[in-house]
Amino acid sequence: MRQRTRFFWILLSPALGVLAVVTVVPFLFLFSTSLTPLNLARPATWWDFGAPLANFLELLSDHRFINSLGIQVRLSVFTVGFQLLLGLGAALLLNSRLRFVEAIRSLFIIPMVLPPIVVAIMWKVLFTPDISVLNWALGVMGLPQPAWLAHPKLALPAIIIADIWEWFPFTLLMLLAALQMMPSEPIEAARIDGANAWQVFRHVVLPLLRPAMVVTILFRLIESVKAFPLIFVMTGGGPGTVTEVTNYYAFLQGFTYSLIGYSAAISVVVLGSVMGISFLIISFVGARIDVE
Amino acid sequence: MWSRPSLGFSRKQGIPTVLIYGQTLLLLALTLFPVLWLIQLSLKVESEAFRMPPQLIFWPTLENYVALFQGKFARSFGNSLVVSVATTLISLVLGVPAAYALSRAGFQADKGIALWVLTTRMAPPIAFAIPFFLTYRYLGLIDTLLGLMIIYLTFNLSLVIWMMRTFFDGLPRSLEEAAEIDGAGPWGAFLRITLPLAGPGLATTAIFCFLFAWNDFFFALVLTRSQAQMAPVAIVNFMNYEGWEWGKIAAGGTLIMLPVVIFSLLVRRYLIRGLTAGAIKG
Repeated sequence: MRQRTRFFWILLSPALGVLAVVTVVPFLFLFSTSLTPLNLARPATWWDFGAPLANFLELLSDHRFINSLGIQVRLSVFTVGFQLLLGLGAALLLNSRLRFVEAIRSLFIIPMVLPPIVVAIMWKVLFTPDISVLNWALGVMGLPQPAWLAHPKLALPAIIIADIWEWFPFTLLMLLAALQMMPSEPIEAARIDGANAWQVFRHVVLPLLRPAMVVTILFRLIESVKAFPLIFVMTGGGPGTVTEVTNYYAFLQGFTYSLIGYSAAISVVVLGSVMGISFLIISFVGARIDVE
Repeated sequence: MWSRPSLGFSRKQGIPTVLIYGQTLLLLALTLFPVLWLIQLSLKVESEAFRMPPQLIFWPTLENYVALFQGKFARSFGNSLVVSVATTLISLVLGVPAAYALSRAGFQADKGIALWVLTTRMAPPIAFAIPFFLTYRYLGLIDTLLGLMIIYLTFNLSLVIWMMRTFFDGLPRSLEEAAEIDGAGPWGAFLRITLPLAGPGLATTAIFCFLFAWNDFFFALVLTRSQAQMAPVAIVNFMNYEGWEWGKIAAGGTLIMLPVVIFSLLVRRYLIRGLTAGAIKG
């Protein structure tokens, strides 16, 4: 038995060691960097812990940072909300047992597995005036043909549309899996009791879908904070700062202005917020469900 | 013609099949349109590409692809391949034995590992990029393929442990026990009995690792300059100040998405498990 335990530790320890080096150590490094004013252009700022909370205090009065939080909230709420609605509708539709529907179901996963940078390019093509077939179609119908990505009111919605398209397959897949595992007895029973389609959906199917929905929302929320390629390619955070989410602002501070310490502080705040919200969701409703 | 009843709709009111067909096809068209649009752009010469109304019937040309490979794109494409394959192999070599140990030893570590995997997923890529960038500057790993292979372990290693564990859990222990009674020892049982049985799981996990590395843009953008440039970054560089070379962008985009689409359709059954590592038991 002793020997077996040793065998298992030999198998386990290299992976745990590497995992610690590539995840735990960077987290610690990130955190300590956030306590310094590290600026790559000024070597003296390395390991300067003279004013450890300076970055965080500065964030409190950084309008661009606070603005970026608001944009992040809008992006997350609209994308996750619409993905959930669209995914649920599509899941109910594709749950049909028609041969044809079963055959083409797999094609719906394509948007979410594409390289995000290619998704960004596709939508850049569709939202750039003069080359956009979308604008041409709007023109044919006699509608205005806006310069989506350069318009302060339309740039964020354009990114939201692209994000919804990219990730609704995820909510679709999660909810479809949940629908297919759903026991049929409660549904049959409700029907026998005379419930109509809407009542069955509202009072039987929807409550049974709840656990899957919670996990779906949790994962989409986490991912929505990472939105980068779409913004980088489509708007670069602009026009002005109307599409500059917090993650993107951290990127600019760190890798465009070389203010690594400040960028690390923003990253710590983002990471802390995502963890806080996630664990709040998990502790309220639990995020472990069984699939298959 | 009426469909068989589906969830949420009562038998009496089953929706007409034709309506399901219609809605499904409409949704499919909306889903695939941007993809197909990019592909057809890649097959047109620049002067034809954006002519409105769009020419849906045209002689396809490979001109853009030829131009792409006359430049430096071939090298970036090669870099992407090398890095994605190498990081997949490293992740498997490290992660598969660990997953096996976790599956068989009953270390009671499940919850801790799940939590750790979930936490690393919550970190925005920049949270990893900053410490890795500083370390790589010091070690001279900026703009190297090795540097990218290592940073991709941050997500691929835990993914391998997570996915392979559930595959091992699904394999019977009786064969290993029989092999050990026959004197194979724990190593023999693992390497010669269990590992071959886990082949399909290994293939699936490998595809996931490959895709996550292949699809990365952020780390490739921040940690490379020119030598180790990856294909996604190379494409973005066609959007430069002299103008956007749409033909090359469309052709490059099509090329990097094709392997992804093919591989994903192969592993579609496991997609949820791969994408929700940390929260869902397979």
